[in-house]
Amino acid sequence: MTTEYKLRMGDGKRIFMTKEQIVADLKEGMADAADLGSIPDLSADEIDKLVDIITMPSRMVGVEQGMEVPVTHDIGTIRIDGDQGNSGVGIPSSRLVGAMMHERAFGADTMELGHIDYSYKPAKPVIAQEMQTMEICQQNMIVPLLYGAMPNMGLYYTPDGPFENPGDLMKAFKIDEARQSMEHSAEHLTRDIVWIMQKMMASGSDGVNFDTIGAAGDGDMYASLHAIEALRKQFPDIYIEAGMAGELMLGMHGELEYDGTTLAGLWPHEQAPLVAKAGANVFGPVVNTNTSKSAAWNLGRAVTFIKAAVEASTLPCHVNMGMGVGGIPMLETPTIDAVSRASKAMVEIAGVDGI
Amino acid sequence: MSKEEMFKELSDAVVTCKKDVVIAAVEKAKGEGIPAPEIIEKGLAAGMNEVGVRFERGKLFLPHVMMAAGAMEEGVKLLEADMPKDAVSKKLGVIVNGTVEGDVHDIGKAIVSTMLQSAGFEVHDIGRDVPLQNFIDKIKETNADMVGLSALMTTTLQGQKDVIEMLKENGMRDDVKVMVGGAPATQAWADKIGADCYAENASEAVVKAKELLV
Ligand code: B12
Repeated sequence: MTTEYKLRMGDGKRIFMTKEQIVADLKEGMADAADLGSIPDLSADEIDKLVDIITMPSRMVGVEQGMEVPVTHDIGTIRIDGDQGNSGVGIPSSRLVGAMMHERAFGADTMELGHIDYSYKPAKPVIAQEMQTMEICQQNMIVPLLYGAMPNMGLYYTPDGPFENPGDLMKAFKIDEARQSMEHSAEHLTRDIVWIMQKMMASGSDGVNFDTIGAAGDGDMYASLHAIEALRKQFPDIYIEAGMAGELMLGMHGELEYDGTTLAGLWPHEQAPLVAKAGANVFGPVVNTNTSKSAAWNLGRAVTFIKAAVEASTLPCHVNMGMGVGGIPMLETPTIDAVSRASKAMVEIAGVDGI
Repeated sequence: MSKEEMFKELSDAVVTCKKDVVIAAVEKAKGEGIPAPEIIEKGLAAGMNEVGVRFERGKLFLPHVMMAAGAMEEGVKLLEADMPKDAVSKKLGVIVNGTVEGDVHDIGKAIVSTMLQSAGFEVHDIGRDVPLQNFIDKIKETNADMVGLSALMTTTLQGQKDVIEMLKENGMRDDVKVMVGGAPATQAWADKIGADCYAENASEAVVKAKELLV
């Protein structure tokens, strides 16, 4: 009887696969990434190594000694307090406690202060509270503490914001109006991010985390890159982490450019140089997990994309690893077997500088 | 020019997303004596499918999809006089599409609506975080053939199942096809809750909707 290994589907379901099936899925996932991104395949050695990682008997795996990388956390400050509906564990605690637990108990190398309504725009009305909390956290912590939120440009469209929803305009074939709406929204978003970060820097923040850049498409990325540029100019020492929302920059506008490059349609390895050009310190590439495919397929695909991004990036790459990204299944609490394997593969094969 | 070449030219014209190019290609095809339904199905619609594929691959963007759909619509108008009477401006079907209650993610759902609309369906996008009863009400109001249910979180996926149950309770299940989607949804989930189909992305949603409704 052929040996079968325990794996996961992208939705977390337990499955069993033979080595041959694993190799076939890895190669298929890899080929999908190579085709979409016009990037190289993994080498035969790298595929062997991926197979080794996937088929290791231990439930949980770790990187080889000497290959440890820094881990940074996004909304971790409320991951303790928030319950499963918030991707957290539901233990009542303040944001300070959340941040200190990550620093002192979980070994986080940097932390982020985030607001429960985790976008820049809703942080504006509560900025005084954010400043006060930043100050108190800084007084109690050693690791770099950034302020972080999602650019989330959708909040500037009706019904949440002042500009007519481009989705509705587009459906009515009002393409120019839709584009103008996105351009106006982008301007406001840039302005809001810069304003919030001026306040947070005044309160001792070490920097800023842009979480899920491009979630609302190319306009969202356009606004974020301009905010990065402006912040770098105003605060030469600010530490800027630029994390993406998904693997492909969605072309909602289609014609927005940064530094002469059209933003729509960019894959991780093409996003990296623009993020560097804008003035960020760390690039956070993303690859989405396909819930209908196996962990082998997803990991083969994710590692191929991220390896190309690491090679193209002049900045350190801290790959996004969590539920539904980076080859990890989409579950509220992703299983340790899948998380640790995907993380090991990202460090040892894709060569990421951090997670 | 062979018929096949003409179909290719029509399809390529749609992919350019330019109205003039599409109109010119349609005029030419008419001149060659190709029947209107074939010009639409094998030429223009094939081009629209290709646009969907390129969108999914990040080679064409949402405005292009709309421009291509607009150009195709102009092309179809030129053919209306030559179309069998009952086929004129008949929509492929009526679809109510929305994101289930408790879930505010609507970017993917909006793309699905746009692509379905550009493929020729009458789409009623009822938004995001939609109370489940509203799906039922809207289906009744529009006499919809299909309902699209989007959920982006494992925690809201259940809403898709609940709508199916509500359709049954209202005695409507046999008249309405149910299509589910969103990142956490899978074919296995669709089977489990008794949905008629699952689509991974917007262009697949168009293919599946056509399979079930056309
Ligand atoms: C953008 C985004 C947001 C934006 C949404 C803005 C908007 N107007 O939509 C905002 C900031 C509001 C947001 C909020 C939250 N989010 Co969010 N968000 C995302 C993100 C980054 C991208 C989603 C997206 O738009 N993708 C792009 C589109 C094009 O793809 P898509 O949606 O998958 O759609 C395609 C297919 O799925 C399919 N499809 C979609 N719908 C349908 C419908 C039908 C009928 C068919 C056939 C097909 C189909 O076709 C589409 C086109 O190809 C994802 C992570 C990710 N990378 O996926 C997290 C994610 C979905 N969010 C998540 C979470 C947890 C939240 C919050 C709870 C966070 C919080 N703690 O507050 C809140 C949710 C609040 C609520 N009650 O809903 C989690 C969900 C995890 C889980 N448990 O399942 C994710 C996976 C991130 C993560 N890993 O933590 N989010």
